[in-house]
Amino acid sequence: MTASTPGGLDLSATGAGAAPAGPRDPEAHDLERSIGRLLTIGTYLSIALLVVGLALMLASGIGPLSGGPAFDIRRLADDLAALRPAGFVWLGLLAVVATPAARVAVSLVGFARRGESAMVLVAALVLVVIVASVALAKALEG
Amino acid sequence: MIDSLLLVGGGIATGLFGSLLGLGGGILIVPLLTLGFGMPLLAAVGVSLICVIVTSGASAAVFLERRVANLRLGMTLELFTACGALVGGLVAFLLPETVLELLFAALLVYVAATMARGLRGSSDDSPTDATAESAGTGSDAGFVARLSGPGYRVRNVGLGAVGSVGAGVASALLGIGGGLVKVPVMHVLMGVPLRVATATSNLMIGITASASAIVYLLRGGIDPYAATPTAIGVFLGASVGSRVVHRIDLRVLRGLFVAILLYTAWRMLQRAIA
Repeated sequence: MTASTPGGLDLSATGAGAAPAGPRDPEAHDLERSIGRLLTIGTYLSIALLVVGLALMLASGIGPLSGGPAFDIRRLADDLAALRPAGFVWLGLLAVVATPAARVAVSLVGFARRGESAMVLVAALVLVVIVASVALAKALEG
Repeated sequence: MIDSLLLVGGGIATGLFGSLLGLGGGILIVPLLTLGFGMPLLAAVGVSLICVIVTSGASAAVFLERRVANLRLGMTLELFTACGALVGGLVAFLLPETVLELLFAALLVYVAATMARGLRGSSDDSPTDATAESAGTGSDAGFVARLSGPGYRVRNVGLGAVGSVGAGVASALLGIGGGLVKVPVMHVLMGVPLRVATATSNLMIGITASASAIVYLLRGGIDPYAATPTAIGVFLGASVGSRVVHRIDLRVLRGLFVAILLYTAWRMLQRAIA
C-alpha cells in the first residue's frame, strides 16, 4: 500500500501550486497521530466504563431489555457514588458521545497552530452544530 | 444474563462485519435489536447510533495511524453530515414507526443491490474518471488542493457536501453510519480512492452519529441497559475487524452479506406490514 512509503511519492501536484500541505507531511501526521490517540483513549475509556456498568448490571440481575432509566444529569454523581449500574452506564455513554467532539476540538487547536484558518473555521462550525444539537434537544425536551 | 451475553455476541458479529465492509455496522445492529430482540425501531436506532460511534472510534485510530483516512476532507464533509444528522434526529421522533421500518427495508435492499453489483465489478482502487477536473477560482483551488491527498485530487466538493447532508439524515433516521452514502459520494463523485474513502467515511461517522445521538439521548431515545452490552460487543468486533481488513478477501464476505441483507429486508418488510 502506498501509505507505507512516506514521502516516496507526491502525485498531488496537479496545478494548484499554492498548497504544499497534503496529508503526507510529518507535521500533519503528528496531528493525525494525536487525534488517533485521543480517539483510542476516548473509546477505551468509554468501553471500560460500560464494562463496569455491565458487570454491575449482571450483579444486580438487571436484564438489558428491561427498559433502562432515562438520562438525568442530577442523579449521575449519586448513582456513581452508590455504584449503581445506571451511573457507570450513563457516564460511559456520555463518554462515547463526547469523544468525537473532543477529536474535533483537538483538530481545531492543531490546525490553528499550523495557521490553517480554513480548517479552523470548519472545525469550529462542526462544534457549533454539536452545541446546537444539545440546545435544540434540550429546548424540545421541556 | 443470557440476553446480555447474546447482545454482546451479536454486537461482536455486527462490529466485525461493519468495520470490514466500512458500513459502521448499524445496518445489522438495528435488525439485530428489532427482529432479534423485539425492540421498537426508534429505540434500536438510538442504541445503534451509540454503537456506530464506538465502531468509528475503534477503527478510525487505526486508519489514521496508517495514514489512510483523509482528515481534512473528512472534517469538511462531516460539517454537512452533522447538519443532516441534527435535522434527521429531530425528524425521527415525528415519523411513525412503520415509515421508518419501510425506509429501513428499502435501505437494506439498496445496500444488497450495491454490494451485489460490486461483486461483479472489479475491486479497482483508482478514482474513476480522473480527467474530469473542475479547477475552481484562486482560494477555492487552494482549499480543494488541501483536501486532496497523494495521488488524487478531489473534485465536485459542492455535490459532496449535498451528498453528505443526505448521509447525515439517513444516519439519524436509521441508526447507520452512513458509509453507504458517503463512500460512493467520495469515490465516484469526488474522485477519492476507495480505500481512502472508506477510511475517511469511518472517521466521519463519529461526529455524524454524535449529533443525532445527543438528540436521542436528551429526548429519552437511548436505552442505556440495551446499549451497554451491544456497544461492548461492537467494540470488540470492530477492533478485530480493522486489524484484519487488509488480509481478507472481501468478495466472499460481500456475497455472504448480500444474502443476509436480503433476508433481513424481507423480515423488516413483514414487520412493517404486520
